[in-house]
Amino acid sequence: MRNALLAVLALMGILGKAQVVHAQSWADMTEFSGYLDSDVRFLVEDDRGPTAGDGYRFDMNRNDLDLKLTIRPFDQVKAVVDSRLRFYGFNEAASLPELVKRDPIDPYSLYLDEAYVGIQGFLFEGIDLRFGRMVQTWGAVDQFNPTDNLSARDLSDPFNYSAKVPNQMIELSAYPTDWLTLTGVFVPVFKPAQLPPSALMGFAVEYDANGCFAKAPVPPLSTADVASLQELFSAVSPCNLNFVDPEVRTLTPESTIENSQAGFKAAFQAGDLDFSLSYYYGRFAFPVAYTAVAHVDPNVQTPGVFDVKYVAEVLYPRMHVAGADFSYSAPWLFDIGFVGEIAVYFPEEVIFGMRAFQQTEPGSAEQGPPKRALVAEKSALNVPSDPFIKATAGFDYTILPWWYVNAMYVRGFFDEFNDAYGIRNYAVGATELKFFEDEVVLRLAAVLAVDDLSATLNPQLTWIVYPSAEIALAGLIFLGDTEPDDPFDYAAKEKFGQKAAGRSTVALRARVTW
Amino acid sequence: MRMRNRLGILLLAALVLLPIRSLSAQEKLSAAPVLDKLDKVANGFDDQEMDIEMTIIDTGGSKKSYNFNIKQKGNDRRLVRFRSGEIKGMATLTEAANRAYVYLPGYKKVRRVAAHNMNQSFAGSDFSNSDMATSCWKCLYDGTVEREDASHYTLTLTPKKGTDTGYARVSMKVSRQSFRQEDTDYFNAAGDLVKTFRVSNTRTYSCGVTQPETIEMADPRSGHKTTLTVKELKVNQGFKDSMFTERELQWGK
Repeated sequence: MRNALLAVLALMGILGKAQVVHAQSWADMTEFSGYLDSDVRFLVEDDRGPTAGDGYRFDMNRNDLDLKLTIRPFDQVKAVVDSRLRFYGFNEAASLPELVKRDPIDPYSLYLDEAYVGIQGFLFEGIDLRFGRMVQTWGAVDQFNPTDNLSARDLSDPFNYSAKVPNQMIELSAYPTDWLTLTGVFVPVFKPAQLPPSALMGFAVEYDANGCFAKAPVPPLSTADVASLQELFSAVSPCNLNFVDPEVRTLTPESTIENSQAGFKAAFQAGDLDFSLSYYYGRFAFPVAYTAVAHVDPNVQTPGVFDVKYVAEVLYPRMHVAGADFSYSAPWLFDIGFVGEIAVYFPEEVIFGMRAFQQTEPGSAEQGPPKRALVAEKSALNVPSDPFIKATAGFDYTILPWWYVNAMYVRGFFDEFNDAYGIRNYAVGATELKFFEDEVVLRLAAVLAVDDLSATLNPQLTWIVYPSAEIALAGLIFLGDTEPDDPFDYAAKEKFGQKAAGRSTVALRARVTW
Repeated sequence: MRMRNRLGILLLAALVLLPIRSLSAQEKLSAAPVLDKLDKVANGFDDQEMDIEMTIIDTGGSKKSYNFNIKQKGNDRRLVRFRSGEIKGMATLTEAANRAYVYLPGYKKVRRVAAHNMNQSFAGSDFSNSDMATSCWKCLYDGTVEREDASHYTLTLTPKKGTDTGYARVSMKVSRQSFRQEDTDYFNAAGDLVKTFRVSNTRTYSCGVTQPETIEMADPRSGHKTTLTVKELKVNQGFKDSMFTERELQWGK
């Protein structure tokens, strides 16, 4: 009913304007743009994969064709459709029947990155409406925006960590004065972040070179509790543990209005200073560990061998976020640009619970399913309901016309939610050197996890061969220990050292934009 | 009678000779009135819009071109949208001398840019962002009329106190007839000639305004140069102030 009302109102807005604005030719109304991007990536290490020795191979062989169409039937109305066809470039045919089909041999996906209607001067001259599939990016700082929670991150491409998962939403922006902008956004249905492929390593079971069980994922419990859980298996040889990869279930919120998201922002301009105040209600888009159950059953075929099945649940906690950000150009200090952003998170409490069961009687057709005894039950406060702060502050400066620098302090990475892993501190730096009239750009970026001294480096050399055509050679390198000092401590994992952070990769990319 | 004739000849000679002489240091006139007229000729419209093709020519002679559209109102409000090349879709908005924003299509985000960005090159060209934004010479520069002849004023300009234009001194020729900016040389603090500005191909556009169609900025040290070809010029279209706001930048994305 509400959507129907909005649709009627939108139509009224269109018709109202149609009377005063003349129709244009198709050439004037439409704008076509897009790009073709070809990307080949190679793993430059073999110690961060699921098994030792997995590496020094191609990790990506991708082609993206992006087509964006903007239609403006009237000056105050537009429709934007941005679609992307992605070919992955790796054969996935694993059986003879699949070899007679093209899809498994040459798999692809169709993405719809944007599809929305925009109306300028909606109901009132100073109000704009955007309705449809889009992304929101809030905040004044680059990339690490604690106030930016309406659109979930799309981390499927580790080189492009600013990408977002598009979602259906309604955005109203009001411009009552020159110095004030009010924005309200309603997102009916929650969508989670898309995780990088390496995220699976966070829940992976590891085996040694002999194929024997080496390590299970550490739950967010106290080190004493984790140690006592390990004790359950101490009597069994690791080679006799058939520990299959955990099954991780996500507790997706129902599509009710209580699970919708909403954000409100008031942005002010005051001379050299821009600042905004914002509020968000919704859910944290990255999964947080909630429960885990381990079943330890004797293998029915091999005496002395135990099957271990591990089922975990993750959820997306609710949260309220009150935020503020600013950007300031300092005329008294070489025109340096300063930015800052702070957000106070009021999270939903999450208590993690884990149970381990051991089979006492095997199941049978007559006796029913196997009987199991509870051998361990642990719980811990994973996310306290106490408010916590995420913040970013930094500056940027053009030292010479061809040399730009940017540095930031970040408290709380975008995937951190004050769970057992905590909120951590980061130093972020980037510099950009332009050569040959901007034809060649060398960008060096690095993030240092201050608390554990792991780091990630992201150098990129881009050559603008001709206008619209560029070739880039880039690297994403992870530095740090893959194994924590304390294997029982959930928080001991190094931010960029742990395997779940990603693989060190070199990429060669060519792109033509039109 | 003979005396009056001699006086008349002297006055006539003075009038003829006056325009072509160099002025001594004590006699130098302020450049302000000339700059005032120049600003009015170049930007004395309520608003203007230009479709421009920018060609960057490197020392080897290879060329690359970009198209962009500029809308301007007054001296400060300016909206630039790139329409080709790898930066297609990018837009910059200048709301005031100290307030500029950029829309980055890759991030789908409008970001405020600090004033230090004015020193950066405009899309890899020989124009800096500051050069592109200079629409009011009298606001930025003090100067003197160094020389005047029958066709030109030659001005020597220095940035006003507290103003960073990126240049220590500018030598500019201004047409006495049209009050348009012509040959202009830019010098750095060391006194080196770092850029030269030339105009050519004066054209009367459909709006009735006569302006140079081609503007060239060159770096004499490297031989690198950039030409701007004004494909279309429109003036006094009745642009509202609201067209030069962050709202418009958001709307154009």
